[in-house]
This record gives sequence, C-alpha cells and structure tokens, in this order.
Amino acid sequence: KRRRVSENVDIEDRLESLITRVGEKSTSSLESNLEGLASVLEADLQNYKTKILKILVECVAALPEKMAVYTTLVGLLNAKNYNCGGEFTELLVRHLKEALKTGEFDNALLIVRFLSDLVNCHVIVAGSLIAMFDNFIEVTLEDNIPQVRSDFYVYAVMASLPWVGKELQEKKEQEFGKLLMSIDNYISKRQKIHAPTLRVWTSDDPHPQEEYLDCLWSQIKNLRANKWAEKQITRPYLAFDGVLCEALQHTLPQIIPPSHNDEMSYPLPRVIFRMFDYTDVPEGPVLPGSHAIERYLIEEQLRRIIFKHAFDRKDCAASLLSYPMKNKVPLNYMIVEVMFGELFLLPRCPRLEIYYGSTFIELCKLQPGSMPQVLAQATELLFERIDSMNLSCIERLTNWFAYHLSNFQFRWSWDDWSSCLQMDPELPKPKFIKEVLIKCMRLSYHQRIVETCTEDFAPLIPEKPQSNFKYEKEGSGSLPGTMTAHQLIQAIKSKCTPEETMVILKDLPNPLKEDDETDPTYHPLRIDVFVSTLLHLGNKSFSHSFAAIAKFHNILKLLADTEEGQIWVLRTMFEVWRSHQQMMVVLVDKLLKTQIIEPSAVANWLFSSEMQPEFTKFYVWEIMHSTITKMSKHVDKLQKEVDDAKDKLDAYKRRINDGLEDDDDDDVPTESLIERMEERLDLAQNQQKRLFLIIFQRFIMVLSDHLANCESNGIDYSTPWYKWCIERLQQIFLLHHELVYRYISTLETLLFTSDIDFHILEIFQQFCALRS
Amino acid sequence: NRADQERLLLLSTTLYVGNLSFYTTEEQIHELFSKCGDIKRIIMGLDKVRKTPCGFCFVEYYTREDAENAIKYINGTRLDDRIVRTDWDAGFKEGRQYGRG
Repeated sequence: KRRRVSENVDIEDRLESLITRVGEKSTSSLESNLEGLASVLEADLQNYKTKILKILVECVAALPEKMAVYTTLVGLLNAKNYNCGGEFTELLVRHLKEALKTGEFDNALLIVRFLSDLVNCHVIVAGSLIAMFDNFIEVTLEDNIPQVRSDFYVYAVMASLPWVGKELQEKKEQEFGKLLMSIDNYISKRQKIHAPTLRVWTSDDPHPQEEYLDCLWSQIKNLRANKWAEKQITRPYLAFDGVLCEALQHTLPQIIPPSHNDEMSYPLPRVIFRMFDYTDVPEGPVLPGSHAIERYLIEEQLRRIIFKHAFDRKDCAASLLSYPMKNKVPLNYMIVEVMFGELFLLPRCPRLEIYYGSTFIELCKLQPGSMPQVLAQATELLFERIDSMNLSCIERLTNWFAYHLSNFQFRWSWDDWSSCLQMDPELPKPKFIKEVLIKCMRLSYHQRIVETCTEDFAPLIPEKPQSNFKYEKEGSGSLPGTMTAHQLIQAIKSKCTPEETMVILKDLPNPLKEDDETDPTYHPLRIDVFVSTLLHLGNKSFSHSFAAIAKFHNILKLLADTEEGQIWVLRTMFEVWRSHQQMMVVLVDKLLKTQIIEPSAVANWLFSSEMQPEFTKFYVWEIMHSTITKMSKHVDKLQKEVDDAKDKLDAYKRRINDGLEDDDDDDVPTESLIERMEERLDLAQNQQKRLFLIIFQRFIMVLSDHLANCESNGIDYSTPWYKWCIERLQQIFLLHHELVYRYISTLETLLFTSDIDFHILEIFQQFCALRS
Repeated sequence: NRADQERLLLLSTTLYVGNLSFYTTEEQIHELFSKCGDIKRIIMGLDKVRKTPCGFCFVEYYTREDAENAIKYINGTRLDDRIVRTDWDAGFKEGRQYGRG
C-alpha cells in the first residue's frame, strides 16, 4: 500500500513540473508542447483531476508572465473535456471571490485578466464576462465609499481590455459600448486631489506625469481607435483556432463585489513616472508613445519582473534583459525608466532601495557595452530636471547615485556640472551634488572624495569629519568646566567606576540656578562636561563610543532625566561631532535604543533654533525618520507582547473549561501581568502620538512664521528653504502614512485647522485624499 | 557538532564579511550594511599580533530578514573598490575577531 502512495506523489510532482514549466525555452515549438501537454493531462484527468486543476489555478497568480500559455492550455483541455473547463472556471471564480474578500487585490486583478483571456480561448461566454464587468463598474455608483474602492474595480476592468477588447467589440458591440461609456464617465468625474502628493516631478514639462487611471484610459481609448489591434500581447491560442472554435463555452456565475467595510485597504493610487520619449533613444526600435497601449503592457510586465525577483538581483537583471519582445522596443531605456519609476514610487518604494541599486549594477555587468551609457544619460536627465523633483525622490536619487559611484571607482565627470558652483548652495542642484559627495564619503573616506573632484568643487566637498573637544583647545582655560573635564579624563583613563565620575561632577555650579530658587530641571554644565568628555574619549570609532555610553549608562540617565536635559545631551553631542554626520546619526540611534533620550526630545532638538542652520541637510531628516521608525517598532513590539499574552491566557482558559488538567501552567500570564503590559503599551502609544503632534506643530510654526514674514516684507515665499521645509512635512505624512492616518481626526481638530495658511493646509488635505 | 552548527546557521542574524581592504573602517561597513536594516553590532576582525583590521568583520542584525537582505543585495558588490563576500555565521564569540592577518 505504501508503494501506491509514493507512486501517486511521484506522478503529482511530475504533473506539477510539466505544467509549471510549459512555455519555458524548449527545442520544440510552444504549440507542439501545449498540444502534447493537453493530451497528457487529458489522460490523467480521470485520476488526478483535483491536483491538475489546483496546479493550473495556482499558475494564474504565480506565473502571470505566461498567462496566455495557460489560457490556451485551459482552452485545449476544455475542447477535449467540457466538464474539466467548467470545473476550472468554477474554481478560479471561487479564488477570485476569496481574493476580493480578503483584499488580495493584485491576485484578483490577475484572475480577472485570466478570465478575460479565457473568452478568447472559447472557454467563457463573452456576454457573461461583460456581466461581471458591469457588476464591477456598478461599484462606482455606490454611496459613501472611498474612491480607492471604485478605482480598483474600474482598474481591474480596464487592465483586462487590451486582452479581450477586440473579442467583446466583435461579439457584444452594444453592451461593450455602454460599458466603455460608463468607464469614461467615471474617469471624467474622479477627484484627483491626491495626485500632487504622488508626483515625482511637479512639472509636466517635458513629460506629463499622469494619474494612473487617466493614463491607462487614454491608452485604452487609443487602442479602441486602432480597432483594438496591438503589437505586444502573445496569443498562442490563435494557432489552435480550429480546435477551440469547436469547443462549448461556459457562462460565468454572477460575481458581485463584496460590499465595502472600513477595515479594507485598497491599493493606493499612483502617478505614472515618465522620463524618456522617442527623441532620447539614439537609434534602433522606437520607444512607444506615452499613450500607446504597448507602453503600458511592457511597463507592467517589467514592473512585475522587478517586484517578483527581489530574492535574487542577478536573476532579476537577467530576466529583464531577456524580456520576450526585446527586439521590438528600446528595452534598456524602458528598463531604466521602470526601475527609476519603482525607486521613486510614492509614498514608498516597494522594495529596499538597495535592491534597485544592486540590480542596476548587475544590469551594467550583463550589458557593459550599453547599459552604463543609458544609465549615465538617465542620471544627466534626472539632474537637469531636479528643480521640480519631489524631495523624497531627490533623496533616493542621492542615495542611489552615491552607492552606484562607490561601485564604479567614483568615476563621474563632475566638471559637466560645474555651473552649479555659482548658484545659491540651497538650490536643488548644488544641494544634490553636496549630499551625493557626503554619501560618497560615508562609503569611502574624505581624501578619496577630495581626489575625485577638481579643486573648484571645494565649496561642495564635505568637511573632514572629526571630533571637536573644546576643553582641550587653546584658550579653554577660561571655560568653567575645563578643570573638571581634565579630572574626568584622568579618572576614566585610570578605569574609575561610574559613581566616581559623579563625585567629580558634583562641584560644578549650575549656571541656571539663581539665588534661593528651587533646583533647575537640568544641569547644563554637568551634561556638557560629562557628555563631551565621554564622546571625546570614545572618538576612535563607533564601537568605542558605544562602549563608553554603555559603561556610563546610569550616569547619562541620571543627568538626562528631563526632556530639557536630554535636549542638552543632544546639543553637546552636536558640538563635538557637527562635522561627522554619520556619527551623529548612529549616536542618536544608540541614545534612543538605550533609552537615555526619548523620541520627543530628538524631535524638539531638531527643530530648535541652534539646529536651524542644519535644517535642510539630509542627515537631520535621516535622524528624524529613524526616530519615528524606532518609536513605532517599539509600539509594535509591545502590542505583539500583549496579543501573545492574551492568546496564551485564552488558550489556557479553554483547556481548563474543557476539563483538561494542565501541568505546566508556569508560563501562562496572569490577568494582572497583562494589565501591566497594557499600561506599558498605552504609555508608548501616547508617546508616539505626542511625537507626531510635536513634529507637526513645529512644522506649522516654522512654516507659518516664514509665510507671514514674507508677506509682511513683500517678498516671494517660495524660497529654496521653503521647498525643503514644506516637502519634508509632506514626507513625514507619506513615509509613515499608515501611522499618521490613525491620528487624522486629532490632527484635523487640533493642528490642521482652517485658520492656518492654505499652503500648509493643502499638504494635509492632499494626504487625506490618498485614501478617500 | 555539525547538526547543531547547521541549525545555528539557519537561525543566525550574523554575517561573516570577508575580502575587505585592511583600511576599510567600521563606519564604512556600517554605512553600507545599514542599507539592509538596523545593525545591532559590528565586530572588526583584527590581526592577532598588531590588533589592526585585517580584512574581515562580523555584522550582526536584529532580524533574520535584514541579514538575508544583506546577503541578497550586498554580497558580490563593492566597498572600497573590493568585492565584498558575505556568509552566514553561527554567531560571534569573544576571541573570534582575531584573524591570522
């Protein structure tokens, strides 16, 4: 009996391998492979029908690039065995309903498209597909739903039309015409308040940056005008027309979208990123126009390849370059455009930024004769248009470019950009170069960057990072803390205990203290002497600094027991390390992790007047975002602990109720323990909310000041500083959108009220529109 | 034993990073590897005698996923003009930072 089981498994494995591999490179033609496979499957249907149907359905979502291969295969099976085609359709529809209910919208989209192509393969009746589409479009008539919901259902229909438009036009002209009219109606009345937030470029010159539904609809309208003829989709079923025409077709059951609930999160809208047109491509095949359906079809497939191959960048690069229709389009240009489109995608890029960077490196390795040139041309274009680029995208571009250069010996003709040297250094171009050079330095070393550029670039070359310890400088004798600092150095060098340092600090007078008054909330001089001495002694490397912080953790906590004290710790750190941005980033990180300082102190410090000259530098925001992220990770961790503890207790109670004796109830949490955990969670959640409120309030303050000042002085508010500042505000919304969304009503009533300047309010409203 | 070792490797969040230049600093390594996630610690490999960097280090992340990303995206790319090699490590123990130079 056992042998029988393993035989079955063998056959099932073989079936799986046959099905999943059909359509890959092979010595014989695709048609004969499909014909052969259909016969094999037909013979096995009797014993393995369930398994075969399951594998086929899985291929729909897992291998969308081979969709037409599988629709054809299903068509051939249906022609041989009508019931099999029916059961497959039924199963697929069940999967579609499930996907719509659970919010797996991309899978749902792929299934809808597959069902559409099954009309072409004579498996499904055209009229029943139209009926499903009609049900989808009807969602646009629902009341009180977010636009992202109707967007999805309309998009699912539109994204299937390149496949099935022609067939529907021929078979159901009237119904199809009505459907198209409903879509057109919806597209024309949609709100697009969110679009500015998602645009990579504010300018439409030279290339319009269109909202994704608008763009696809224009492409579909062109396709319709071309009588639904396109040059991009493979249609292997055409070769089997004779066989498939004979087959009987199935009617789709009624498919009604599940009704809306507030828990559901629909796909966010996008703006289509465009950086090339046909004039950018020197020779060879022509780049399809921005409203050609081919552009959409290729882009979509490339995007899927990039998203799916994230586990292996080499595989990704190879798959991109072996795109099936590569001789018909300037593939390298399209790859570069789509890769940057993904990297720049707002609110966030779909994968780690370094994935795109390391894949670009592989692409250059695989095509050393052409890819580096296209990439250099792209960089040049991106730089030329940087003035109107979204700040988050400038930042990602900066990180990528420095990383890319570090993999190619930092070779770049900087001189071509030397006109920036005469500009206001706060303008995007010089700012970009400066930040790129800083990032390059962080990946290499100061001298290397000095040697990379010509001398006239000196104004943009970063300072050499080094610590600045005022108590050992000439003239430090007159400073009130110098003697104590020197004592402290001696004591720490001779391995004193943390408590002994406290004794040394004890006699320092508090400059904040006035006669007979109560003690001030912190002691700036003690903090200054202790923190700067500690950082000075640990200045050799990150590890040295971390060790120093760890050893004197208690003292630091004691000195920084109020928010003012914590801000003073940060100020002192800034004084010591202002030329070493990376050091400040990792030190703040360490101080947060060791809970010496709190997130709100970091936010208040970054907005403080001493930090104003640093405000537009990228590292400041690196610190801000990592602070927010750290805070939210902390909340998530506590939340998970509470959830786990509750689950454990519930399970235990169930066991007791069922009368099961429980020997090891040691690790079952008590009610009071859970209560304490919930209190801690509550505290952290309040801290988190407070952090966001501080950040938004400070933004509103600095921006309002700026706008009011400009108005009273009669000058244009739109300065470089204003661009950096308002777009940083926008970035906080976007990067942490899931979190911020939870506070939206608090923000609306407390901060973003109708009496603040419209320029600030607008940013908030655009953010709200993202999901409305 | 070997089975234990393999189990440790499957759970590890620590990478052995080799083929570094002797001049590459902890800072540079931090800059590159933090692109894949939050770093718990970096331990520089040191020459047994001279106690100077000798071309390798250990990078420990907080999560397995971040460490996996570092292997996916950093292994085989360049730092300080040298092709960096990353491998799973069963976890750093004191003393292992001393290489043969």
